[in-house]
Amino acid sequence: MINIQQVTKKYPTVTALDAVSLEVSQQEFFGLLGPNGAGKTTLMNLLVGYMNPDSGTISIDGERITQDTRETRKKIGFVPQSLALYDELTAQENLEIFGQMFDIPKKFLKERIQNQLQAVELYERRKNKVKTFSGGMKRRLNLIASLLHEPKVLLCDEPTTGVDPQSRNAIFDFLTTLNKQGTTIIYTTHYMEEAERLCSRIGIIDHGKIIALGSLDTLLEKLAYDETIAIIKNPLTMKNRAVFERLGTLLEEDDHYELKPAAGFLLSEFFAGIEKNGIKYSWVELRRPTLEALFLQLTGRRLRD
Amino acid sequence: MKQVYRLFKSSYRIFWNDKVSVALTFIVPLVLMSIFGAVFGGSGSGPQGIGLAVLNQSSSPIAKHIESSLDTMKVFRIIKSFQTDSGKTILFDTLSIQDYVRNGKASAALVLPPDTYADTSAGLYVKFYYDPKNDIEMQTVKGLIQQLVFSQFPSVMTQSMLQQAEHYLGKQSGRIFNRSMASLVHTYFKIDTNRLLHPSLSNFSFKSMDSSQGSTNFLKNIVRMESQQLIGKEMKNPWATRSVGGWGIMFLMFTLTATSSSLFDERRSGVLMRLLTSPVSRTHILWNKYLFNLSLGIIQLLFMFLFGWVMFQVDIFSNFFNLLLIIIAASVACTALGMLIAAFSQTRQQANGLGTLLILSMSAIGGAWFPTSFMPSTIQFFSKLTVVYWSIEGFMEVLWRGAGFVAIIPHLAVLFGIGAIFNIISVRQFRKGHIFD
Repeated sequence: MINIQQVTKKYPTVTALDAVSLEVSQQEFFGLLGPNGAGKTTLMNLLVGYMNPDSGTISIDGERITQDTRETRKKIGFVPQSLALYDELTAQENLEIFGQMFDIPKKFLKERIQNQLQAVELYERRKNKVKTFSGGMKRRLNLIASLLHEPKVLLCDEPTTGVDPQSRNAIFDFLTTLNKQGTTIIYTTHYMEEAERLCSRIGIIDHGKIIALGSLDTLLEKLAYDETIAIIKNPLTMKNRAVFERLGTLLEEDDHYELKPAAGFLLSEFFAGIEKNGIKYSWVELRRPTLEALFLQLTGRRLRD
Repeated sequence: MKQVYRLFKSSYRIFWNDKVSVALTFIVPLVLMSIFGAVFGGSGSGPQGIGLAVLNQSSSPIAKHIESSLDTMKVFRIIKSFQTDSGKTILFDTLSIQDYVRNGKASAALVLPPDTYADTSAGLYVKFYYDPKNDIEMQTVKGLIQQLVFSQFPSVMTQSMLQQAEHYLGKQSGRIFNRSMASLVHTYFKIDTNRLLHPSLSNFSFKSMDSSQGSTNFLKNIVRMESQQLIGKEMKNPWATRSVGGWGIMFLMFTLTATSSSLFDERRSGVLMRLLTSPVSRTHILWNKYLFNLSLGIIQLLFMFLFGWVMFQVDIFSNFFNLLLIIIAASVACTALGMLIAAFSQTRQQANGLGTLLILSMSAIGGAWFPTSFMPSTIQFFSKLTVVYWSIEGFMEVLWRGAGFVAIIPHLAVLFGIGAIFNIISVRQFRKGHIFD
């Protein structure tokens, strides 16, 4: 459905995309994961025809996407990273303005606005000015403003930036339902949890190149280990860091350490070590590795570095 | 105290890094002070180049002297003939000189009639026709003309007295009487007897007269200056009729610069991008901005003129069609200026700073605040390059003079021309610029 062939885009000081090729199938929920500045937003801008690539082609359903192909844009819905709304207008007025740009007949537009507002639980607030909305409400409105023309493809550029967990979950549920109903979704994020939870296939992008591509399981198979060990941070575990460091690579997270076992690691040796140092079993947990670990393995850096 | 010092220092650092604030703080006042200084502060040479039509029908030396004195005064641009439609140059007569002023080609006219000065009477008679479209300018012109005419009176008076003495006492006795009188005046007032007995017009100039002297009132009774206002006599509120256009244009430019700069807000919020990812092109967005600003400009000017009509009885309806044409032309030019400012700016702050500087400067030199004739000749040249000047002149033509379509063609042409040039530059700059990136 979406075909990206050898796309390169350069800015005066940096190559944002370097010969990127990618295919996304119909009704796929594709995640593009990468740190800030990796090239995610540039790829989205090209996909939506906001800018032209320096070389390479992008097509949707066989139709080329460029700055000049305005009709093809009716197939695409774009949820920008910023809250692209008129603050001084009401939710309903905003949706009317953006909907009209897609030549939706008035009768249908009114109906769709009502349906979408109800779907994201903003119908009761439809006559309130956007400036009175919370961050989460604005995000939800920002999302449905891109869906009024019922696009085949929805491009979401980090749509949950600055959103509280409750609104984030609501957005996830909404997008999942939408995908199930047939909409192809490309979702960029630098939160691996979002990519892991939502996407059937994930591309990891760094320095303008796709460095890994596949389903979550396929990607995780690339890791040198199957599981990681999470150890809760407390004065005792912090004091005995050396015990864990001997057994593998130790990453320090906000509330825990994550131990990536080295080759030849034996679980029995690990338990003997923690027992000797008085560390409780309840502070230790076996976990499935994350995309963060894969990114670290591939680039030597962390996603949020 | 240390904390206050740190905050104080950081305030200066923030201020200094905000180039727009720095420009507004120092450059805008500097430019305006320079303009005001040139006009009122004595650094300039006073009013210059005010169009004055002159017709001298008298053969008397005193009339010739007034005419030649006028020729040397920088304040006036003396016009003695006009061109017909066929391009023929014709000297003024009493009717054509009045028409010339009525048509706005000169601010005033001075006619020295055949009986400007007569040997048999001690008096001076001149006719002054004027168009008070600019009140300050006309007060100045009238004052200078009066000063010039009155300054001729001492020589007129002396000559007349000498002639009268010889006429009544006989030539010889008259001469003896005149010499005795001159001697007495010399004794008590130390005035050269030769100067009294052989008065020369060149001995007197209007500069030697001090109008504050008590002689002025005396002279007023003897020098007859017949003034006639040719335009605007029937105006209910001349001040408002003259001012409404200038104020309207200044505020219009502020409005249009602000609305053009809204592109920056739309870019920052992402709305511009959202629009560009729908079936909307960059050209659509620029056209929308242009048409919105243009219509808003027309509505704002109409609103201001309607307010002038309601509050100050400014007559906007007797020549409404032509007024509407000038409103449209002025809005076209001002909208294009607003777009040009937005096109050359990187941020809204920059656009506001640049806009404020340009608008205030153009209002000052374009004649919105004081007559352009009060400015040095170089600034007068630049004033004719401003939207403000041509808009104000256009409004004056239709509101003050009741000018028809043909008379306002030059104003319309210049304003539409400015609009077209600014638009071409803006579109090119928008294409090169980063507002859509």
